[in-house]
Amino acid sequence: MVSFILRGTGQRLAALLLLIWSLGPVYWALATSLMKPRDIATSPINFFPPEITFEHYRKLLGGLIGLPDETGIWYDFLRALINSLVLAGGATVLTTAIAALAAYAAVRLRFPGRNLVFYMIVATLAVPGYTVLIPLYRMMVSLGLVDTYSGIILIYISAYLPLAMWLMRSVYESLPLSIEEAAYLDGAGRLYTMIRIVIPLATPGLIAAAILTFLGAWGQFSVPLVFAPTAATKPLTVLIPEFATKNYVDYGLINAAGILAMIPPALVVMFLNRFLLNGLMAGAGK
Amino acid sequence: MSNNEVVMTIMATGDAPRRNWRQLVSSDASLGIALALPVIALMAAFVFVPVLITAWDSFHRVSPMMPGEPFVGFKNYVTMFSDPNVRNAWWNTWFYVVLAVSMQLALGLGTALLLNGMRSGRRWLLAAVILPWALPPVVNAMVWSWIYNPHYGLLNGLLLKFGLIDQARVWMNDQGTALVLVTLVHVWRMMPLNAVILLAALQTIPRELYEAAEVDGASRFRSLRMITLPLISGALGIALTQSTITAFNIFDEAWILAKASAITRPIQGQIYMTAFQDLKFSYGMAMSITVMLVSIVVSAFYIRRIYRETRFD
Repeated sequence: MVSFILRGTGQRLAALLLLIWSLGPVYWALATSLMKPRDIATSPINFFPPEITFEHYRKLLGGLIGLPDETGIWYDFLRALINSLVLAGGATVLTTAIAALAAYAAVRLRFPGRNLVFYMIVATLAVPGYTVLIPLYRMMVSLGLVDTYSGIILIYISAYLPLAMWLMRSVYESLPLSIEEAAYLDGAGRLYTMIRIVIPLATPGLIAAAILTFLGAWGQFSVPLVFAPTAATKPLTVLIPEFATKNYVDYGLINAAGILAMIPPALVVMFLNRFLLNGLMAGAGK
Repeated sequence: MSNNEVVMTIMATGDAPRRNWRQLVSSDASLGIALALPVIALMAAFVFVPVLITAWDSFHRVSPMMPGEPFVGFKNYVTMFSDPNVRNAWWNTWFYVVLAVSMQLALGLGTALLLNGMRSGRRWLLAAVILPWALPPVVNAMVWSWIYNPHYGLLNGLLLKFGLIDQARVWMNDQGTALVLVTLVHVWRMMPLNAVILLAALQTIPRELYEAAEVDGASRFRSLRMITLPLISGALGIALTQSTITAFNIFDEAWILAKASAITRPIQGQIYMTAFQDLKFSYGMAMSITVMLVSIVVSAFYIRRIYRETRFD
């Protein structure tokens, strides 16, 4: 009995420590983003905002609600936010669609070289993306695709497709064949069966593949660092660090921008956690 | 291939006259090829061909600053071994790999065991645990960089408050400390993935095994060693290899926390500077090829495992 209580207490204590470790830094960023500059730059430091202010958020988003400030940062920020959404959104939709079709071919359609193709694509998971950056850069320059949405999205697709295909393959393999056979007997063609019957059944897997691609593309740094040099395509992940390169580092502003960039992934974790976990477990080769 | 699939294949293609174009197009093989071709083209253009070009160019002198691309043999590779910058970057990288992988495995296993043993609230704790992994790595690094701030950062603030240090310290100046702090940011982000992989494996272990062990008088530690660890060895292998590959390719955290500073610069940072700042493309490519080979050798275990799990289909 005593050991049972001790064990419960130890477990709760460990859970609390884990919670602080995981959320502490996020809390600290949020607290900083809500503090006035003079409350940020004090010693001893404030662990809680003595007075809450939205001035940093106003600098970043003010223009949206008709309150632009003199720095004009909001314009760059909005531009980068749109770029991030377009790049991550485009990569997510296309990668998921392509993986859904190609993985189906790899599981159910027999054609020469099927396994070779599949394993070669999955094997690229072991090739660090950075290996191809330099020739890719030269290729994109010659094609005029540097600093364009389509160029960057194509790179993202090639980077996230292997994992999405790997995941979709395990999803299709878990679906019973009998449903497809029944559709055959009723005279449905392959394409019809795939689009109208199989893919709807594989929706949870598709959501998982989409989430993994979105999180990866949303957080990408090195690819846009090289391929998105100007405001035309530069996403948040490249813009936000630039706030810190000036002589004066505005920590309130940086943390506010960081918190805003955290919102989409945080929403995914809160509302689509089940799909995310299933995807991670399947993606890990379970 | 299962019997059902054979039947289906026969049904779909067996009685179709091969010469009939419409039926050929509607057959499995054509549809399969039609679906696979765009993917093959894309992966060839963006991965396979660039890898081959990287390998090829690493034996040439390729630089936009100099005309011509003469063959130079192993010169780039030989230079690499005597280049103090590259050697330093490799040392830093190995430091990251060893420390990050061991911390991620230990913390990941601890987290997975804790979550697996929880009766209530597991879902919420798991969501909190996974959050750092889902956030943009660059934003994580910026938040931690603020935590490490020597004047107003949380780390100094907490240590001062609890009396563990007398005066604020500048954390990123000393190489050993700086490397540990960069690793910590990486571990914060990647540990959740290990925890999820290991938790998935833990959940497949039947509870009866532990009950039987308890009846036999085995201690909890002994159960862990004799039942849990052997049964999750596959997942441990996967967690180990994915941690290793990501640690070899560490870049974002080091770059944001210390920019190009040599004391924390990993090999990927060295490659970025060589290729995109010094514009020595082929020298950077030789380094890339080396990193890729090291990563592949280390991840051979992972690939082998994928084959083992899938070759019976």
